[in-house]
Amino acid sequence: MASQKGNRVQDPITSASEARNTGTRLVGFGLAAIVIILMLAAILLFYNLPDANAFNQRVEDIFRSNDGLTEQSEIKLLEILAQSGTAFSDVLSSYRSIIFVLLIFATALLIASLVFLVMLVILNRRMAQIERAGIEVNSLLISREENTIHLNDMGFKLTDAAMETMSLLAEARMDDDVLSGSEIEGMISGRPASDCEEAAGATRIKRLRDTLGNQIVSELLVKNIARRGYMLAVSKDVIKVR
Amino acid sequence: MLFAAPAFAESCYADYKAKQDNPLRLHYGVIEIDGPCDAESAKSEAASLLQAEGWTLLSLLSTFGANGLAERKQSAGPYYLRF
Repeated sequence: MASQKGNRVQDPITSASEARNTGTRLVGFGLAAIVIILMLAAILLFYNLPDANAFNQRVEDIFRSNDGLTEQSEIKLLEILAQSGTAFSDVLSSYRSIIFVLLIFATALLIASLVFLVMLVILNRRMAQIERAGIEVNSLLISREENTIHLNDMGFKLTDAAMETMSLLAEARMDDDVLSGSEIEGMISGRPASDCEEAAGATRIKRLRDTLGNQIVSELLVKNIARRGYMLAVSKDVIKVR
Repeated sequence: MLFAAPAFAESCYADYKAKQDNPLRLHYGVIEIDGPCDAESAKSEAASLLQAEGWTLLSLLSTFGANGLAERKQSAGPYYLRF
């Protein structure tokens, strides 16, 4: 039963981290896609804009292919045409850098929004799991001097015997061991496990459950308000009576 | 005079178009050709002469004798027999 309970608490954690793993992979693909698309856009942008020499080239072609264009005034006009084209291409290149900066902004915004979206989805999933699982143990602190254990941030006072059992179970859990009743009794009393009865260990477990369960329920469900009385610590709208 | 006359008759000119880059400058000019008076050799001679002055030959329009000079002087302006 104890190991079953351990599993029930463990499961949401593993599946949540699995969800996070697939989520991270998806986010990676998404980010790569965004960066690739915008880089393609940037490359196309820089490739397709005419370079500064395009206008000069055009004017030069006109001058070369028209034999009649030999008058000085005509040639002067052609030169002015080329100069204005060059000026315009300067404007174009400044536009190009502005567009590039905007593209970088767009990349950053898209990446940020994708990350937040995925984080929202993962958080939602995790919240749903936490809601379903009820109490989830994030930390278990066993303090031997005060005879207290701290589950998350709730402190529970235990008797000496229950404390022994609790720390024994905690050590066994850290080694991934499952203890039988006789093994528990054997370790606490210091005798070989074969000499101990299964029922003695089971009694220790029962006492531990009773004290701990009683305190957990009074902390989470049936609250005791000092000098006033008792009250259920749940919200009104989740209660249904059939 | 006997020596000069054939030399004068043989003298050869060509008109051409040339350019300079950055900023683009264009000109039409007339140049005297020392070598044989055909389009091919005139073109290579004009190209090398202009190259020395920092100009690039775009096209060579025609070659002609001294009698063709006068009608082109106006158009060529400062580039009339300059190089």
